[in-house]
Amino acid sequence: MSAPSPRRWPVLLAAATAALLLGVVAVRDTGPLTQQERIESISRRVACPTCQGESIAASRATAAEAIRAEIARQVATGQRTDDEIIGFIESRFGASVLLLPRSTGLDSLVWILPVAVLVVAAAALAAALARWRRTALPVAEDDPGVESAAPPRPPVARRLAVAVATVALAAGGGWFVAAQSGQRLPGQSATGGIEESTATLLSQARSLNFSDPKASVDLYGRVLEVDPDNVEALTYRAWILVLAAREASDEVKLAAFAAADGQLRRAIELDPGYPDARCFLGVLLFRYAGDARAAKEQLDTCASMDPPAVVQGIVEGLRGEVEAALEEG
Amino acid sequence: MTGTVSRRTAAVSAAVAVVLVLLVAMLARASGGPDPVVESPLLGRPAPEVRTTTIDDEPFDLARRKGSWVVLNFFNSTCVPCREEHGDLVAFAESQVGAEDPVELYSVVVDDTDAAVRAFFDELGGSWPKLRDPDGAITVAFGVALVPETWVVDPNGVVRLRVAGRVTLDILRSEIAVLRGEA
Repeated sequence: MSAPSPRRWPVLLAAATAALLLGVVAVRDTGPLTQQERIESISRRVACPTCQGESIAASRATAAEAIRAEIARQVATGQRTDDEIIGFIESRFGASVLLLPRSTGLDSLVWILPVAVLVVAAAALAAALARWRRTALPVAEDDPGVESAAPPRPPVARRLAVAVATVALAAGGGWFVAAQSGQRLPGQSATGGIEESTATLLSQARSLNFSDPKASVDLYGRVLEVDPDNVEALTYRAWILVLAAREASDEVKLAAFAAADGQLRRAIELDPGYPDARCFLGVLLFRYAGDARAAKEQLDTCASMDPPAVVQGIVEGLRGEVEAALEEG
Repeated sequence: MTGTVSRRTAAVSAAVAVVLVLLVAMLARASGGPDPVVESPLLGRPAPEVRTTTIDDEPFDLARRKGSWVVLNFFNSTCVPCREEHGDLVAFAESQVGAEDPVELYSVVVDDTDAAVRAFFDELGGSWPKLRDPDGAITVAFGVALVPETWVVDPNGVVRLRVAGRVTLDILRSEIAVLRGEA
């Protein structure tokens, strides 16, 4: 059996790489079936954050048990895939809890580099063998007038094509293995993103409450589109409406106050324990409807609920004015 | 031949140099000191949901504290650094009484009983609310692996600071002043 021609080395190399990659794909787990299997499968992919090289499936540390309980909760709700659950844990503890490196970002180099090195090393070995064969071919020693029988080196264009093919194979193979074997965490980029949520919109809206009321109202509106009963969005959109309408014409002001009154009462109906809505309704009733008695009721209830500092600051001076108005009236 | 060898040597040397530079750059980026103020994927993001009860059975919802600066201290009554930092937390809580825009302090009980927590506070002082976390959901939501840890949430409900390990009065005061734009 003769050795393969050097011309066939790239073909053989490509075939060997393809077989290796197919092997990797073939041995991939098809996934767990029951909830308990899902919990165990996910737990095996997450490192215990307080242990050395131990998964949370094996660890009995407090943090590991808490994470396992969280996984069980998320599996039970059935709203997230395995990858999404692992993505959630990574978004809280960082990438160090991933036992299986990610298939994206810098982590992907863990998968790509070995394949790339393997392919490049095989190509280099093939090139070395080809050169060795060329130089090892016999030379007609008895007849110095006869030239060496060694074949000439391949043309530059062909060598270049082989080099490009090798690099492409190394990169493509590495990427393929990374995509098949690495953690694929949804909604995350190489810089680690968390998808926009209602909480994000609410935080953004809050930060713009006074600096850019229009943008803030728009953001609260977006929250209410997906969650019409969101108490915070109802309350603060109404409050910004009140503040923005103060300088408007009487007609606009009345319309705005009526709308705000309705939204604040709706928020209180949805969550009677939300102090902010009660405080703002108290302000609205006293300042713009002139109803000190109704305002006092709302302000007293708000105060009894320990409102946050900003809300407390808004109504602090007002309560004295309301008391005074009631004494006069 | 000598020229080829020297070119190869130069190429290998350059490759080794590049790898070394990358390694040094990575090491330089890594946390090298014992600075307790640490990174977290949650910094700059809305705080996780914290809906629970205090050990006195009062309801607590972190989302309802928006409008206040909030400090959450994760602790356990048997942890030594928790005991060591407690005096600073008491001093911090006292410094907020009567302040114009007081910071609210809450303890999150990690893997501990109500009775042990009560005994801890009876012995060392402090009257701020202690939040239950019986199944570890709050601990996991914040990515807390070891206690003590202290987090600061701003009035917009955004996580702004994480202190891993023992916190001091100086750290709390100076870091919150910076976050508030006062320093």
